[in-house]
Amino acid sequence: MSTQYHVKLAPGDVAPYVLLPGDPGRVPVVASHWDEAREVSRNREYVTYTGTYRGASISCTSTGIGAPSTAIALEELARVGATTFVRIGTCGSLQEQVRIGDVAIFDSAARYDGASQLYAPIEFPAVADHGVVSAAIQAAHGQGVTHHVGTTFSTDVFYTPQEGVAFGGYQQSWAREVYEDARRQNILAAEMESSVLMVLTRIWGLRGGAMAVVADDVFASVDETGAFDAEATFDVGAAQMERLARVGSETVRLLSERDAAGRTG
Amino acid sequence: MSLQYHLKLAHGDVAPYVLLPGDPGRVPLVASLWDESREVASNREYVTFTGTYRGVPISCTSTGIGCPSTAIAMEELARVGATTFVRIGTCGTFQDRVHTGDMAIFDSAARYDGASRLYAPIEFPAVASHEVVAAAIEAGERLGYPFHVGTTRSADTFYAMHPRPGSSFNDYWQSAWREHFDDLKRLNVVAAEMEASVILVLARIWGLRAGGIAVVLDNVLRVSGDSGEFDPQEQFDHGGDEIERLARMGSEIVRIVAERDAASERAPAT
Repeated sequence: MSTQYHVKLAPGDVAPYVLLPGDPGRVPVVASHWDEAREVSRNREYVTYTGTYRGASISCTSTGIGAPSTAIALEELARVGATTFVRIGTCGSLQEQVRIGDVAIFDSAARYDGASQLYAPIEFPAVADHGVVSAAIQAAHGQGVTHHVGTTFSTDVFYTPQEGVAFGGYQQSWAREVYEDARRQNILAAEMESSVLMVLTRIWGLRGGAMAVVADDVFASVDETGAFDAEATFDVGAAQMERLARVGSETVRLLSERDAAGRTG
Repeated sequence: MSLQYHLKLAHGDVAPYVLLPGDPGRVPLVASLWDESREVASNREYVTFTGTYRGVPISCTSTGIGCPSTAIAMEELARVGATTFVRIGTCGTFQDRVHTGDMAIFDSAARYDGASRLYAPIEFPAVASHEVVAAAIEAGERLGYPFHVGTTRSADTFYAMHPRPGSSFNDYWQSAWREHFDDLKRLNVVAAEMEASVILVLARIWGLRAGGIAVVLDNVLRVSGDSGEFDPQEQFDHGGDEIERLARMGSEIVRIVAERDAASERAPAT
């Protein structure tokens, strides 16, 4: 098989276990926690490192922002042999008890994206593999990281058409209470990639899961003037990314060890 | 609080852990496996038994067929103190690897029902509590039952949406049904039944726990032959010990979840 069109990877370039941040700049940061790592490809928003972490083969590929570029990354990674996909991202909290710096482990996603609907009807659930969920919980426990397990709101829009959020004061009535309703549905957080990851891995018979460090409170990211300024209000410090990289890598190690022991999760 | 309108239950009548079959006739069969049990209510399609199973308080309430009556059962059970819901039912399968008599463990559901949409938008996932899923896997392993973990398609119809005319009365059929089952097979959906989606959605939005298992009675892609005729009375296999295995596995799930709750000394959560 030749090199994949967008991610520029061939069979043998990636481990079966792949961590998926959105930001290509975070891939070398994640890989710096491994025992050894090398950059295996770089094209557009897709950067891939492969290496080993505490005896487990591991890769990390950035997806870019949003479900469309993430779907391309998943299609091409699966073709070159990846079987287990763990998103490590950032999210905004929808619940008071989910605080900035905590890690949210997603067992499911609300499908407010377009790409996953082109693969599976909207009735189909975006659900994580239970083995990935249980490994992520164990990893977070082991690292002493405050964590929450629940549903994420995966949306194709960052600048939601709400007062003060989208450019020029643009608003749509559907968006006015969309996050309040999500909070009432017990949804933990909002981000932009987990739904398509869970749907695609499930329909292919592969494994997917996701976790994200909480960068902001969705209800507090609008300042007193009513303006939304992510640069000023989002907190994605080095310590938070390090925590995420560590819990993600530990999740892969636990899965790898369980798989080797004959449990397929 | 007075009696709940449909279930005729009050606080104290049910355990925090409730098994949910569809058929009221199965409730006493389920309870017969427990150490002790008593009927606490019976009204319409809702029959409730409460007792103890291997030291754990447990209840079993029938939901009737379909999500509307199941949503009523969930609302009223939650009001009288139930926190953990485990559906135990029967299902068909879309997958050749899943055989008649196997157990399906539902970690999620495709929402082809109406009631759950009145509570949460269709984008919201019908997902089981990972604690219930983990307990179900452990129960299946301990009991040595063949099982499959995956998604169920919960639909508001039993006779409609089959691939060929003949399943609905008078050969009523729609072209949109032609590949519906094949599409579900390609989506890796394991099972077909009629209640799981609303149970999973309601428990999730309330911050309670739910999961489900079902014993496989047939392969839905093969159940109607070339003629398209669908005769469940003729084709479904209820003959063996399927319901007893279902009852045993459900009760074991409750025991495992309850013991873990006691060990962690915390209130049940999602």
